[in-house]
Amino acid sequence: MKKKVVSVLLTAAMLTGLLAGCGAGGGDTQTAADNTADTAKTEAPADTAQTDSTADAADTADTTADAGEEVTLKWAIWDKDTTPYWQALKDAYEAANPNVTLEMVDLGSADYMTVLATELSGSGSDFDVVTIKDVPGYATLVSKNTLEPLDSYISAAGIDLSQYGGVDKQVTVDGSLYELPFRNDFWVVFYNKDIFDAANVPYPTNDMTFEEYDALARQVADPTFGSQIYGTHFHTWRSAVQLFGVLDGKHSILDGEYDFFKPYYELVLNEENDQICRNYADLSAEGLHYSAAFSGGDVAMMNMGSWFISTLISNIQSGEYDASLCGNWGMVKYPHAEGVEPGSTLGTITGLSVTSVSDHKDEAFKFVEWVSGAEGAKVMAETGNFPALMNDEVAGIISGLEGFPTDAESKEALSVSNLYLEVPYAENVSEINDILDTYHKSIMNQEMSIDEGIAKMNEEVGKVLGQ
Amino acid sequence: MSEKNEMKKYSSKSRNALIGKILLYAILIIITVVMIIPFLWMLSASIKSDREVFQMNPFVWIPEVPKWDNYIKIWTKIPMFKFVENTVFLTIVVTFLQLLTSSFAAYSFAKLEFKHKNALFLAYIATIAMPWQVYMVPQFIMMRAMGLNDKLLAMICLQAFSAFGVFMMKQFYEGIPSELCEAARIDGMSEYKIYAKIMLPLSKPALSTLTIFTFVSTWNDYLGPLIYLKTESKKTIQLGLKMFIGQYSSEYGLIMAGSVLSLIPVIIVFLCLQKYFVEGVASTGLKG
Amino acid sequence: MDEKKAAQVERLEKESAVLMQKIREETDIKKKRKLIAEREKKQRKITALRNNRLISREAKRDLVAYSFIAPNFIGFAVFTLIPIVFAFLLAFMDWDGSNAITFVGLKNFMKLPSDTFFVAALKNTIIYVVGTVPLTMIASLALAIVLNQKVRARGFFRTVAFFPYVASLVAITAVWSMIFHPSKGPVNYLLLTVFGVAQENLPKWFSGNLVLVTLILFSVWKYMGYYMVIYLAGLQGISAELYEAGSLDGANTWQKFKYITWPQLRSTTFFVVVMLTINCFKVYDIAVMLAGGGDGKLSTSATVLVYYIYQNAFNYWDLGYSSAIAMVLFLIVLVVTLIQFRYEKNLEA
Repeated sequence: MKKKVVSVLLTAAMLTGLLAGCGAGGGDTQTAADNTADTAKTEAPADTAQTDSTADAADTADTTADAGEEVTLKWAIWDKDTTPYWQALKDAYEAANPNVTLEMVDLGSADYMTVLATELSGSGSDFDVVTIKDVPGYATLVSKNTLEPLDSYISAAGIDLSQYGGVDKQVTVDGSLYELPFRNDFWVVFYNKDIFDAANVPYPTNDMTFEEYDALARQVADPTFGSQIYGTHFHTWRSAVQLFGVLDGKHSILDGEYDFFKPYYELVLNEENDQICRNYADLSAEGLHYSAAFSGGDVAMMNMGSWFISTLISNIQSGEYDASLCGNWGMVKYPHAEGVEPGSTLGTITGLSVTSVSDHKDEAFKFVEWVSGAEGAKVMAETGNFPALMNDEVAGIISGLEGFPTDAESKEALSVSNLYLEVPYAENVSEINDILDTYHKSIMNQEMSIDEGIAKMNEEVGKVLGQ
Repeated sequence: MSEKNEMKKYSSKSRNALIGKILLYAILIIITVVMIIPFLWMLSASIKSDREVFQMNPFVWIPEVPKWDNYIKIWTKIPMFKFVENTVFLTIVVTFLQLLTSSFAAYSFAKLEFKHKNALFLAYIATIAMPWQVYMVPQFIMMRAMGLNDKLLAMICLQAFSAFGVFMMKQFYEGIPSELCEAARIDGMSEYKIYAKIMLPLSKPALSTLTIFTFVSTWNDYLGPLIYLKTESKKTIQLGLKMFIGQYSSEYGLIMAGSVLSLIPVIIVFLCLQKYFVEGVASTGLKG
Repeated sequence: MDEKKAAQVERLEKESAVLMQKIREETDIKKKRKLIAEREKKQRKITALRNNRLISREAKRDLVAYSFIAPNFIGFAVFTLIPIVFAFLLAFMDWDGSNAITFVGLKNFMKLPSDTFFVAALKNTIIYVVGTVPLTMIASLALAIVLNQKVRARGFFRTVAFFPYVASLVAITAVWSMIFHPSKGPVNYLLLTVFGVAQENLPKWFSGNLVLVTLILFSVWKYMGYYMVIYLAGLQGISAELYEAGSLDGANTWQKFKYITWPQLRSTTFFVVVMLTINCFKVYDIAVMLAGGGDGKLSTSATVLVYYIYQNAFNYWDLGYSSAIAMVLFLIVLVVTLIQFRYEKNLEA
């Protein structure tokens, strides 16, 4: 009898497995499974389903959305309430395309890419457009065949990819592009002018070598207990330390050889030991957010992404941050290695993709094209964010925002000469990213010496690349 | 002489007893301090400003100007109300289902004879030793295929039918004399009536114990909601609190105020039911 | 209708008679038994039909019993049993949750020994279990013995000891990471000012080798109240007469513990140790919340098996591999539990 129970259970399990597995297997079965899943979904109102099928019919007859058929695009985003540009983009696009309704689904920023991958896995997803937050997550989605290759759409629409300054090449997968960037953040150095004034030390400049940066930090820092002033602040992300090393354009984190990290780890750990910057173990124990560190008024310089500009401006205006502590801020370009052109910096792109299960791929791509194009760029800049499509007009809009530092250096800091993605695309980028994160932690916690940590990175990433 | 000796012995005995008593209370007080200090710290920090929290010299438990508005701010900084609502809903439904279905099934296992009884019970027992984490991934895939991803219903399905509850209730029912049921059967009572009229009223200690266990584990669950509940409006208080800590890491006062709030319901439930608790554990054979 | 029934009864009776004949002739005892059972079934059906009942008394009895079990068992089978079987199968597959499943045999298992992160996770988990289980057991037993004495406000002390178990992990780990903060926390402040530990030697509780110690201390603190209650229940089951007899023989407190309490609590201790072991192998949230820092990622000094299972499943979408690690976890728990059962049995004999 026991045997019988087991065999029944086995069959049941197999069936479930097959159901879930096959549903996601080939293209045809997948759509079939999706359709059933869609109809089964209780939350999808019946009339939407109706519109969907009529829109489908319209698709085959006439591919342009100008036909006037009502289309609803489901769009995955994060932190709707604290991120103003989602609503701004939606409003502007719906105004220009009255037949399109955008339905935003907020998946939260904490584990956005993990959540999105879960949503898109297998059957049951009904997203049309998804926002891509980082490259490791993008790699996962591409390998799971959940995103639509955009090449044919791009060439049909005649989009000139050179306007993205080459970042598109860093996310091209086997010759195909699966996302178009609409937001591009790059790293700069934020500094607190009051601290420099009080210490009678000159402000940082747009042309600093790492030695000058280090020397300046040491000059302005004050380790006296109780009234510490930190010369620099390095957030716990590995990007904040390791990636100084890729700015010379000769190295990349996909190399599998990481000896070039060493001087930068030495720089940061020495500053830590001399109490020039906060210590990593503390930061990690309390999970100190970089914004809290800078707005606390005891950090002279902090390297951070340009997204922090709009955060600073709006939070100082709203009184969330104490303006007497951090209100007088400025920014300069990233420091650079000897002999490298200033203005080389790290970038992080945010893109939009069309899902492979979408029933409205053409309309979805039109939206993606619009957001990543000139009109979307304008909306982004007006809300204080950096569009991927950067030009002088856009830079003008941002530096003209109320609350943006008025000095010329800060404006000048917005011009970037070379942009290297924090994480460019590679097949195993997710694993590589995690390995580097792990040993970054070990080195910064001083559980391992710099050499041991780097040796481990070389060894483990070597294994992944060797597969 | 011998009387004196007796006296001496007696007085030394009572002195020993006194020393023992003092020692006992000393140990008790030390343990209590170790157990309760984190909670006192939490309460104290929840009414301090961020700067005061780590002020050691001088350290005060209650600041001169208590920041009560930490308790007001926490509700607006994050959708705390929604989190509480979700968690309360989940916990109540799960606890109710767990109590009902477990005691129902346990009655059958303890007091009825039927085919395949042993095989079925073995299936329950075998999974108690199986960490949930071993099958959480396939379970998630299955749930997602059923369209339960990101639904509170998934958490209910996940937690309401535990083997542990059935096992515990069965142990308890076995301690109730079968003659009670037999007599009722002879009187012509149906099994359902016997369960409802005789067994349930007797099982207060066991039900209280199971309520505490289920309530505490559902209320405090983290990994389950982390996997299943994705959109903010569906998150539980644990996820919400963790999210808040991630975003406002240095607002210690607010974090502690949120923590205090998250503790109140479980502590109330525990205090209400604790008088049955030791008795419940003893009678459910949990002691082995 | 009635005619139909009568015909059925007649047919059944005939078959039953044939069976009877067969039973008489059959020599093989096993086959004979089988035939007898078959005939009895037919007979029951006949009685049921004659008495105008749809089903036999036994069938009805079973149905009632099943109706009690069904609500729980259906949920249990669907949401627990099926996934468990699925987990076993998945360990031998390659699947990313979207593309087709392929069978890969033992490949997932072969990969394990050379995977640095898996080895680190396994090592840390074992150290954690070995540290936590005995400490929690001793602490909770001691606590139970103390709280089983006649003391004032016993209820209060018991409640306080149980508080950490009831408290939510997120809240209480937040408190711990403040109290043990490496440079600002009161614990290190005391070490610095009262015990004179030099500032650079102050322990970093949440990194390096110390992190596992912190995890163990935290777990003992949080869970000892729970196991204390179980021990209390066990202690109350020991009859007072045993202690009286011990007192008459002049046994001191230690002897009473050694010769009465400890042997009497053997089955309780067994239960506590088994539950503790299983629960400790599942450690995940404690590690992530105490050692994960802002991003909840664990370095090799603090990574544990469940964390790595989660990573592989939900970050790399290597579901087969994550299932294989889960199987290793299960096997370890199973083996440890079996050894404990064996030991318990040997003691009994």
